[in-house]
Amino acid sequence: MLPAELARFGAERPWVLWLLPLALLPLVAAPRRRAAWADLAAVPPDPFSRALAGLLRAAGCLAVTGLVAGIAGPYRAGERVTRTGIGAEVSMLIDRSGSMNETFAGRQPSGAEESKAAASRRILGDFVGSRAHDLFAVTAFSTAPMLVLPMTDRHDAVRAAITAIDRPGLDYTNVGRGLAMALGQFGAASGDASRVLLLVSDGAAVIDPRVQDTLRAAFAKIRPNLYWLFLRTKGSPGIADRPAGEDTPQAAPERHLDLFFKSLRVPYRAFEAEGPEAVAAAIRQIESLERDPIPYVEVRPRRDLAGRAYGFAAFGLVLLVLAKLAEVDLARGRAGQGAARAPERRMAA
Amino acid sequence: MSARPPWRRNLRDARFRMLAAALALALATAWVPPLPLTRTGVQVLAVVDITGSMNVRDYAAGGQPQSRLEAAKAALRHLLAGLPCGSRLALGLFTERRPFLLFAPVEVCENFAPLDGAIAALDWRMAWEADSRITAGLDRAIAMAGEIGTDLVFVTDGQEAPPLRAGALPPFEGQPGAVRGLIVGAGGYGLSPIPKYNDRGRETGFYGETDVQQENRFGPPPADAESREGYNPRNAPFGAAAAGGTEHLSSVREPHLKALADRTGLAYAHLDGPASLDAPLRAVATRSPVAGRLDLRPYLGAAALVLVLAAFLAAPLRALTMRVPTPRKA
Repeated sequence: MLPAELARFGAERPWVLWLLPLALLPLVAAPRRRAAWADLAAVPPDPFSRALAGLLRAAGCLAVTGLVAGIAGPYRAGERVTRTGIGAEVSMLIDRSGSMNETFAGRQPSGAEESKAAASRRILGDFVGSRAHDLFAVTAFSTAPMLVLPMTDRHDAVRAAITAIDRPGLDYTNVGRGLAMALGQFGAASGDASRVLLLVSDGAAVIDPRVQDTLRAAFAKIRPNLYWLFLRTKGSPGIADRPAGEDTPQAAPERHLDLFFKSLRVPYRAFEAEGPEAVAAAIRQIESLERDPIPYVEVRPRRDLAGRAYGFAAFGLVLLVLAKLAEVDLARGRAGQGAARAPERRMAA
Repeated sequence: MSARPPWRRNLRDARFRMLAAALALALATAWVPPLPLTRTGVQVLAVVDITGSMNVRDYAAGGQPQSRLEAAKAALRHLLAGLPCGSRLALGLFTERRPFLLFAPVEVCENFAPLDGAIAALDWRMAWEADSRITAGLDRAIAMAGEIGTDLVFVTDGQEAPPLRAGALPPFEGQPGAVRGLIVGAGGYGLSPIPKYNDRGRETGFYGETDVQQENRFGPPPADAESREGYNPRNAPFGAAAAGGTEHLSSVREPHLKALADRTGLAYAHLDGPASLDAPLRAVATRSPVAGRLDLRPYLGAAALVLVLAAFLAAPLRALTMRVPTPRKA
């Protein structure tokens, strides 16, 4: 316990502490004038003088110690305090395939038109940081999943990751491996915080049956609330549309991904958005659904102890300065009224 | 009757003045605010090659072989930790023929943990295609850095796959020197085998000579083709023999990378240990002013300490240097 407590103290310039032996200097030297006195033994021992001498030595030691410590910049390291707030652990899985750069009408954006990626960038950017205690992780996927940011409470970094999502996308939509990585973003130690997996994509793909089993196991273990924000391009099949021909995953990947999600037995909702307003509405809904307490870590800033060190030094210096002011010279003292006090002062020296 | 109280003389005493000044300085530390000043930060986009040849283990760390990618990550994390607060870092991947921006520039101190975590999580498995057209990727990375207004650190081993056509470096379309930065050559100078992975990401051996393209046979044949064995202008314009070579082995292609650096106005540095990027980047980076603060208290404290020590040492020092009247004579 004690070493842990001590380990929290540190200094910005620890090498300065090598000067600490200088604090012994007041034990052997004094800043007072020399006085001519034949023999100290001629003065009767005086406890008050001794105490005064000791006090002034201590003041000198204190002043030097305080100054050296102050220059070294001592501090007490910041604490991490776990509190409870309203929020969730949100793992975002964002489609970066090439089609995300088209508009909801399936065209290249022109003029004031917004691509699907730009719309999700704007709306997700607002979502991040609207609640102070949400934790976010960002994963992107196209052919391969890419870990963009690990789970973090630094919303600036999350927004920077979201800023990058309307850059030109890559090839294909391989959602299976992306889901596996997004699930992996939930820390093992997060306890009973509400976990949200938010999939933002404009299409789906067949998930390899072997990967399906792995995903099922991972979902059963982590039990996130799953939201699929499906950015539907006009005229393309929706989540609920049965294909005209054979009903296979290859013919209707969206529908079968939806069926797969429903079969996972985790809380799941799909939002089919056909325009930026619908995306914003879906995000608002998710926000209102996820209102569970979440433990979050508050980092208390480290405490600067230099001010205290300088304070001690100033206290010691006040004593030294007062002593200096009250200094009496033997020769003059004898002539003046201070004769009775003079020997004391010299003793203190 | 002493007309002059003793403190009059005390006020004139140099040692009193020193102690009083030290006291004033010590008290001033409580009031003096930190001095606002501008420090030089950097804004940098780091693009890391994650193609197959970056898995070559020709570095060592802690007595264990280390892949080029791991060495590059260690160097970037070291670089990140050393950047002054207010600097900003963006991170991108390179494979195929283009960089992929993971996140836009982020301030490095406030967001250290996620940035460090994101660099640590870089993995070759994030690659979306297996080509490694470094020249094209570098040009696009320079354009990207120009768009987001940062310098560029491009970490690669310089191994183009498929190989470039002999002697044909495509022209650079941007303006050389408009984006400043560093090409970092990763890898040892000797040839090493490239590990091969199966579709589940498990290592299954090393690439053999016939596993990779040894020569670029797109476009017109090279000038020396006519002298090759079995050359036929129509049926075998590159000669009849299969191309042989060492493209299945990898070393840092320094001449190629230096040529690329010359062409684009970037500097070149070799990746050689975790701290090897700091100084080269500092040398070429655009200095951008970031708000900093200078704490004045250590200076005040140091001045006070000198004064206190001088006050205490004045008497012994004077006793050493000049023989003041000794008490015995008085």
